[in-house]
Amino acid sequence: MGLLALCLIQYTPSWAQMPHDAIYMPKKSVCFAGVYGKSTWTEYWEGSLKRENFNIGTHTTQSVMGMAAVGVSDRVNVIVGLPYVWTGTSAGNLMGQRGLQDVSGWVKVKLASREGLSLHGIAGGSMPVSRYVPDFLPMSIGIGARTATGRLLTNYTHPTTGLYLTIHGSYTWRSNINVDRDAYQADGRVYNSHEVKVPHGSDAGLRLGILRKKWQAEVFGERMANLSGDNIRRNDMPFPTNNMQATMIGWYAKFQPRYVGVNVRMSNVIDGLNMGKSQSLSVGLLYQLGGL
Amino acid sequence: MKSLHKFLLVSGLTLGASVMLVSCDKTVDEFQRVAYTPASVDDKAGTWKTYLAAPTDLTLAAPTSTTSAEYVAELNNLKSVSTTLSREQQEAVVYWGAGAAYRWNEIARELAARYNLAPASNAAGVYPVPSAADPTADPKFPFANPPYTARMLAHLSVAQYDALVAAWKFKYQFNRSAPSKVDATVRAALPVSALPTYPSEDAVVAAASAVILKAMFPGEVAFIDSRVAEHRASRLWAGMNVESELLAGADLGSQVAAKVMVRARADGMSGANNQTLTAGMVTAAKERGQTEVWLSQESPVRPPMLPNYGAVQLWNFDRATLVKIRPGMAPQPGSDQFKKELAELQDMQKNQTREQARIANYWSDGAGSYTPPGHWMRAAADAAHEAKYSEVRMARTLALVATTLADAAICCWETKFYYYTPRPQQFGVKTTIGLPNFPAYTSGHSTFSGAAATVLGSIFPERAAEFDAKAKEASESRVYGMIHFRSDCETGLTCGKNIGSYAVARGKADGSGL
Repeated sequence: MGLLALCLIQYTPSWAQMPHDAIYMPKKSVCFAGVYGKSTWTEYWEGSLKRENFNIGTHTTQSVMGMAAVGVSDRVNVIVGLPYVWTGTSAGNLMGQRGLQDVSGWVKVKLASREGLSLHGIAGGSMPVSRYVPDFLPMSIGIGARTATGRLLTNYTHPTTGLYLTIHGSYTWRSNINVDRDAYQADGRVYNSHEVKVPHGSDAGLRLGILRKKWQAEVFGERMANLSGDNIRRNDMPFPTNNMQATMIGWYAKFQPRYVGVNVRMSNVIDGLNMGKSQSLSVGLLYQLGGL
Repeated sequence: MKSLHKFLLVSGLTLGASVMLVSCDKTVDEFQRVAYTPASVDDKAGTWKTYLAAPTDLTLAAPTSTTSAEYVAELNNLKSVSTTLSREQQEAVVYWGAGAAYRWNEIARELAARYNLAPASNAAGVYPVPSAADPTADPKFPFANPPYTARMLAHLSVAQYDALVAAWKFKYQFNRSAPSKVDATVRAALPVSALPTYPSEDAVVAAASAVILKAMFPGEVAFIDSRVAEHRASRLWAGMNVESELLAGADLGSQVAAKVMVRARADGMSGANNQTLTAGMVTAAKERGQTEVWLSQESPVRPPMLPNYGAVQLWNFDRATLVKIRPGMAPQPGSDQFKKELAELQDMQKNQTREQARIANYWSDGAGSYTPPGHWMRAAADAAHEAKYSEVRMARTLALVATTLADAAICCWETKFYYYTPRPQQFGVKTTIGLPNFPAYTSGHSTFSGAAATVLGSIFPERAAEFDAKAKEASESRVYGMIHFRSDCETGLTCGKNIGSYAVARGKADGSGL
């Protein structure tokens, strides 16, 4: 994470029926998606200091993610996903890492709706599915924590034009992790332990878009921030205990005339703490079964 | 379809609920060491051979009699401060009760970790050199890299040991009983042994450690003072020492540390980073037959770490011995052996197993860590703690290990810059642990580990095989991390064991009979 280009955000599903939208798969329908993602940064924030690193050059994280969204009912959707991630740099001698990252699952429930206004509750969790190294940052493919997220989302959609506004906020619990070494430094002290405290986090988002039967377009701003954690030390590498924060803006579009669809998502980090100033792109191929 | 829906819903909710349950406790599980009654108080330790400060050169005022008005007043004060303790005071008593040298060694390792960061390059592409005159500016002074840390730990441990030998001499000379033995109404919160308590061994160690650490980490004076103050107070809160015992201990510890600092100021460290010597070193290495020499792989090119550290004063043998035990040349690029070792690393880059990565990570001890010398000092302190060593025997163990680690650093660095051999990264190999910025041959990890394991195996013969296996693992970890050729590690490990044997011989001859 940290410099590892926003895995927290990058691998949230980036298609319709996402854990951060108000769109539901109809009952007894399933949507499958394959999403390719690429995120790069050249500058990053070491604490609050924005800098480059000539021994990294440009850092790249790529992924392919398989996903499925299921309409349990018209008001309840379940979404699962699993990415394969690989990392690399354009300079220096740090070896890229690759592997299956964390499986994630979400349940999205429409709690109330009236005259275009709706309120949704979303719960999710994730856990690593492979024994990747979590503290070889920024090359690690993830930070190895199990997570649980609770999210509230409100949406207003204009009934005739499809113009919509979505606001959401969430809290993410993260488990402690175990690293290979039996001592490490964090918070200005040495912990004589394999166990590492990974901070909990929060995020919020604002989305403005238009949703039609066959297509969707949206601009968004997102903010994620850990609720504690330390800074990357001067000229040191990041660590899972870091207080990572980022503000990003981006756009999203989907075109799905019938069963098959495509989507595209682009985002830029505009401000941050202990993270890469990433530019991210993802492209997804969607296939829907039933419900049409 | 319906059962699939149900299954997904139930499993999703279960996953969410389970991770929520396990992730709420953020406390990091750390093993806490506590006080013990030493297996032996080592009552003859006042005669053990010291490194730098002979007890006969030290003076200490005789204590007042335990029937004197002064002592009775001290005892009454002790009773009043040790009767009711706050939670913080109780925690301080337990923390420092684990052992004075044990804790100060741990503090030293923590300081090393906090200062173990290479300077960043500035806008002009230059790496500023840390300045002792301005230790908290960027880059902070010191850069506590492995050689710096090895030398720091050696001076610290020698100061603790020499001061404790003197303390033991005076303890048995004056024979003052522990406060709780003089007056049974004194509540001692820690185990009380038969050891006389004037001067306080805790105050001796705290004072000696503080002098060394303040010199080695000049930006940490306030932090060190606060640790000394708490350590000292904890002895009163625990009902273990009266004020005069603490004052005498501080006096003795300071006297010894001053003598150790005389050596530290003149041991050649001030010339260790003399970068003007490297051109001559490269020429000499080529004349010796080194076909391809080490080049910094960093951008911008970083000057090598402490190229003249090999000239620093040794602890357990002389310079002629260093020359005698220096290994021969590494396999040269183009040779069959070199090709074989490079192929091993190229294969590792494609097929590194998770277990190899684990070993590489476990021993990486890189930037921001307490370095390999710190890693081995922790092993030494833990072993001595588990064996319930007396304070002075703990310090002897640490001094033997720390001085051999310092010798290992000096010999290894001398070899590195004598041959100036390239890293595997000059042949296109990547790393999973980060690349140190100095020549490859011989491996520092291997030399440190061979030396420390040899000394520890001599002190704890029943654990010798365990330490030996750890040293071999630490050595090989550098191949698994792909920053060393196998020859760097195997030769380094052999050299380390050889270096360790000199500290073993010193220990056998120090009069302890251990």
